[in-house]
Amino acid sequence: MILLGELSLWVALLMAIWSATVSFAGGRMSRADLAASGERAMYASFAFVALASIGLWTALITSDFSLRFVASYTSANLPTVYKFSAFWGGQAGSMLFWCLILSLYSALTLFANRKRNRELMPYVTGTLATILVFFLGTTAFSANPYARLDWIPPDGTGLNPQLQNPGMAFHPPNLYLGYVATSIPFAFAIAALVTRRLDAEWLAAVRRWSLVSWLFLTIGITMGMWWAYVELGWGGYWAWDPVENASLLPWLTGTAFLHSIMIQEKRGMLRKWNVTLVVATFLLSILGTFITRSGVIESVHSFAQSPVGTYFATFLIVAIIVTAFLVATRLKDLEARAELESMVSREAAFLYNNVVLVGIAFSVLWGTLFPIISEAVRGSKITVGPPFFNTVNIPLGLLLLALTGIGPLIAWRRASIANLKRQFAVPVTGGLFLGAALFALGMRDGYALVSYTLAGFVFTTIAQEFVKGVNARRRMHGEPVPVAFIRLIARNRRRYGGYIVHFGVVVLFAAFAGLAFKKEYDLSLTPGASFSAVDPYNRTWTFTSQGVSRYEELNRQVTAVVLEAKRAGMAPTLIKSEKRQHVDSRGQPTFEPSTEVGILESLRQDVYLVLHGVSGDDRETAEIRITFNPLVWWVWYGGIIMALGGLIVMWPQATRSGARRRAEGGYVVVMQSSERRPADVPEPPVEAGV
Amino acid sequence: MATRRQFVITLGGAIAAVAARAARGQQGAETPGATMEGDGYIPVRRLPRPAGGKRLTPLERDAVERMLSCPCPCTLDVFTCRTSMPCGFSPRLHADVVQLADGGYSANEILAAFEQAYGEKILMAPHKQGFNWVGWIAPFAAVGGGAFAAGALIRQWGRRAAERRTAASPVPVDASDDEMARLEAAIRSDDA
Repeated sequence: MILLGELSLWVALLMAIWSATVSFAGGRMSRADLAASGERAMYASFAFVALASIGLWTALITSDFSLRFVASYTSANLPTVYKFSAFWGGQAGSMLFWCLILSLYSALTLFANRKRNRELMPYVTGTLATILVFFLGTTAFSANPYARLDWIPPDGTGLNPQLQNPGMAFHPPNLYLGYVATSIPFAFAIAALVTRRLDAEWLAAVRRWSLVSWLFLTIGITMGMWWAYVELGWGGYWAWDPVENASLLPWLTGTAFLHSIMIQEKRGMLRKWNVTLVVATFLLSILGTFITRSGVIESVHSFAQSPVGTYFATFLIVAIIVTAFLVATRLKDLEARAELESMVSREAAFLYNNVVLVGIAFSVLWGTLFPIISEAVRGSKITVGPPFFNTVNIPLGLLLLALTGIGPLIAWRRASIANLKRQFAVPVTGGLFLGAALFALGMRDGYALVSYTLAGFVFTTIAQEFVKGVNARRRMHGEPVPVAFIRLIARNRRRYGGYIVHFGVVVLFAAFAGLAFKKEYDLSLTPGASFSAVDPYNRTWTFTSQGVSRYEELNRQVTAVVLEAKRAGMAPTLIKSEKRQHVDSRGQPTFEPSTEVGILESLRQDVYLVLHGVSGDDRETAEIRITFNPLVWWVWYGGIIMALGGLIVMWPQATRSGARRRAEGGYVVVMQSSERRPADVPEPPVEAGV
Repeated sequence: MATRRQFVITLGGAIAAVAARAARGQQGAETPGATMEGDGYIPVRRLPRPAGGKRLTPLERDAVERMLSCPCPCTLDVFTCRTSMPCGFSPRLHADVVQLADGGYSANEILAAFEQAYGEKILMAPHKQGFNWVGWIAPFAAVGGGAFAAGALIRQWGRRAAERRTAASPVPVDASDDEMARLEAAIRSDDA
């Protein structure tokens, strides 16, 4: 199976080269037979990449230490789930995993478009195959997971303890699914640019894949935050590490695109901008991969340094040049078919939302690369860490939060003063009321107060939209509230799914602001000793050490401290934190000791326990840190709500006649005249939301 | 105002710097964390000041450590590194911070002492001075410039649209003023 897998990798590369060559030739020469051959080669390439992946999984599960990759990232006593997930735990395996997802997505795209977009498909196939050639080539020549060792070691090095976490099974795959999905819109954009078919046709295909990418990136980033929070050593759920930043970049531009695409669908505008965003999102995902894998920027998350960085840098530069050339030579075809009329319109709000989203993406990229730029200009090294990113991005983030509430309140085309008054009265009152109430209750942190005031404003905006929609349905159909609510969402998933995403954003910001109130205590506790601490809600907790214990588990030696946590109105609860020394199957230490935190979770706050070490002559005194982290769980809930909203937006709408659909979605009147919408602009299938 | 040639040269220089950095990076060790122990540590010690001055509280001391970058490849600050992943550096830097704080030095003096020993790289964020201002201001300038450009574009589009409306002949609509008013109101409400 392993030999078959290794051979499959090379055959897949040959198939991808064939697919790229004949697809472009088929498109250029208008030869359907060549285009069909290219598509078949892409399906074959997927099959062979799948075989290569199965081969590597087999080697990992069966602990075939003749492979360098297996010996480097697993050990015989590693739990099976981590042997499975070790596939993407190292450079070479993760490259193959990328190829697997890309070839799968490519095959799905070809299958879904076997009867659609036929003029575009040869170039779509050719572009996807070219990307696949790059990844397969880099894998085969520079990071081959099938590389052999000269001798077979009795055991492997094992998986880094920080990667032995359930997050390892879910976070990287979701992130990769999101990164790789940006390739499909990019391929359609290239095809549309080459063929000059820059109408609404390619947008429909692009939008769905952009949502797929956005959804997986959202899930992946949220899971990564959770993992970095529960696993010590990554600086908390967001540390502005270059690799974390790299995952945020395509998410930000992807989010900008999902908003600006609505303007193109509805008004035929921002065509150049949308193509640019699609291309930028793909290039940023490649740049993120370059940052993760090249060693060009230091990161706690990055893979070991390897030559793949040069391959990625070359690919990135070539992709930038090719796309810049295509866009520059198609500017006339990308002219807008309508123009924005007023600063006070939903289009303008979306445009400003795009400016802020892309601005944040720029600031994150700028901060990530500034140490290199500074070194090149001044010759001295600097560090750009959380103080910089927080100073720059908190104001921009709050501006974005405000626009999240403002956008849906403004009418398309041009809002009247009466419309603004009617729409803004309740949300502005809601936000100000919440801010004033929190100030009266003693909240004095400026950023937190602004965050909660804006969160209140946006939440009231969303609630107002739902109330209006539900009331409209009740009036028209006489439905009870729950039925009206569910049907309101079901009949206009893009609009109300988008509002659910916005609600998730509100929850996230509220959770981020909670971090301003965290409290920390460092202490030493002997067995039976107690310590009292006051949490951010001014409640007193008592922690009593139950002692230090030492024991062995499957692949580690553990030193643990258990504390009994008590406070008025709560039953006593035990929290445990561990220091772990991982060992191989012969009992030899494999990595530096790692720490498992103990977390007492609740919706209001987490009590977060870290065992730094043990001291004293008898090694029974626990050196610990207790942190009260307010509202942390709302970060994960915010991410879940956003993903749920994204799923609703993505879910295919049952086909109905346009008029019936709009009527059931709570719409009463549709007006369409040549004056209001140019004839060549497509009918908008969307009203609001993502 | 930079010319196009200057812009291209600057861009090329930046790309070359990144490429050179990538090439240098790839000459390094295969194992991450290989430099974590030992060789980059520089002791930062000062004689204690005469007693009587205000001493930093433990929380203020932690805040100082959060402004110092750990020289190990973790990219974390000293406080986060030493309280989460023990490396060869952060406990020793912590000991130096404690010694200086106990010696009566202020937060700024401690940061300056570390910067003198390690260079500006030891700080988690660059000083707001000289070329660093480019780093601090560029994001706001980008957003401000983008917003200004978007505003100018919208104003220009709005003027053109108004001119077209004036030039175009009205489309005859078979509806009364009252019906048109209700239709407009319904559309406004629907759009919102």
